[in-house]
Amino acid sequence: MTISALLSQYGDRYLQALFETWKLTVFSFAGAFLIGILITVMRVSPIKPLRVFGDFYVQIFRNIPGAALLILLVYALPYLKIVFAYRVCVLIATTLIPSAFCSEHLMSGINTISPGQIEAARALGLSFFQMIRRVIIPQALRSTVLPMTNLLVATMLTTSLGSQVPLRPMELTGIVSYINTRSAGGVAAFAISAALYCATALLIGFAGSLIDRKVRILR
Amino acid sequence: MIQKDTPIIELKNVNKFFGNLHVLKDISLQVHKGEVVVIIGPSGSGKSTLCRTINRLETINSGEILIEGVQIPEEGKELAALRSQIGMVFQSFNLFAHMSILDNMTLAPVDVLKMKRKDARAEAMRLLERVGVADQANKVPSQLSGGQQQRAAIARALAMHPKAMLFDEPTSALDPEMIGEVLNVMTELAAEGMTMLIVTHEMNFARRVANRVILMDGGCIVEESEPDTFFSDPQTDRAKLFLNSLNK
Repeated sequence: MTISALLSQYGDRYLQALFETWKLTVFSFAGAFLIGILITVMRVSPIKPLRVFGDFYVQIFRNIPGAALLILLVYALPYLKIVFAYRVCVLIATTLIPSAFCSEHLMSGINTISPGQIEAARALGLSFFQMIRRVIIPQALRSTVLPMTNLLVATMLTTSLGSQVPLRPMELTGIVSYINTRSAGGVAAFAISAALYCATALLIGFAGSLIDRKVRILR
Repeated sequence: MIQKDTPIIELKNVNKFFGNLHVLKDISLQVHKGEVVVIIGPSGSGKSTLCRTINRLETINSGEILIEGVQIPEEGKELAALRSQIGMVFQSFNLFAHMSILDNMTLAPVDVLKMKRKDARAEAMRLLERVGVADQANKVPSQLSGGQQQRAAIARALAMHPKAMLFDEPTSALDPEMIGEVLNVMTELAAEGMTMLIVTHEMNFARRVANRVILMDGGCIVEESEPDTFFSDPQTDRAKLFLNSLNK
């Protein structure tokens, strides 16, 4: 089938899938961001068990393949009498893995802060949380906009895990298998999804460099 | 009740090690209200470390450090509260890079002292005016010269209404022509009766402003006297050697 034939027959399904991919991406990234900040605060806290936990968390979720994590969530958890909906399983996997990378980015952002600023914050009498909230996290975020942009793109691509379980509505990768089992879409069916992924990534990249230019810290 | 003669800062037999290196050897020292004490000495003599132990940016291995007769707490809220009462000025300014000068000034008064933002801003502008950088209030630190940054850093410390101020080589990172403007601010502070402990290499400043000069070497206080006596009639051989090396 040609691309135009595919589009005329399945155009609205592709559109629906694109929105689904966007939705999964936004929710996953928001969750990953919050968890990433939380884990990072643990990793720089003065309490050793929290630091150990944070490092351990990052090692686990940075190194587990997304498919393996999804299989564990879908097939292993029910043995522990924990059963999540497919969509929830996908969301958990596409949140936890990027959250580990988010924390790694933030840690490298924290390393750009001169130790003198931390000493100044302590000398002024700021508590640990005041220092985190007002000095450390704002600077870490501002200096990691570009890596975070990459992470957002990576998170979007990770949501293709959704094709491995029956999702309704389907996301961009799942829709390709759906179409190819009904009509012989072949590579063209993939190309449409790929173009939509690409367009989204370009949009994200553009927005990212705009934000970076606005918030970058002059040194 | 604080006794009139209770020193603002008191160190009793303080010892500090970095690994096997004994950097502070049995240091005892008092700084009274309104006094300006200048610590001089060669690099590695422990003078910066001494300055930094007073608000516990460096921990000590033995001895006592008292602020107005009360031992400094080891950690937590109490330590933060104590630090907020002692101003500190660093060699490298250490202004928060992501904030305007004005926000640098109001952060601790609003967050730590719970001042109203409006009041904190008014106070900050008054202090910036006093150190001569009010026109830079809305810029970020990297847009200011070193001298301006250091004066803003002094104003930031003053905004906390400290009982005493610690200066850790405040002019060592500055171009020669900017040293004067920072020393002028410090001289004014001293004249207004601020209690100050200053680590510096500026001998003329020490001679002019200090009530007492302390020479440190190898982690020990080797001489402690009034500036006139110290510079014109040093008692120890170490002090004579140090002063001679300056005149070369």
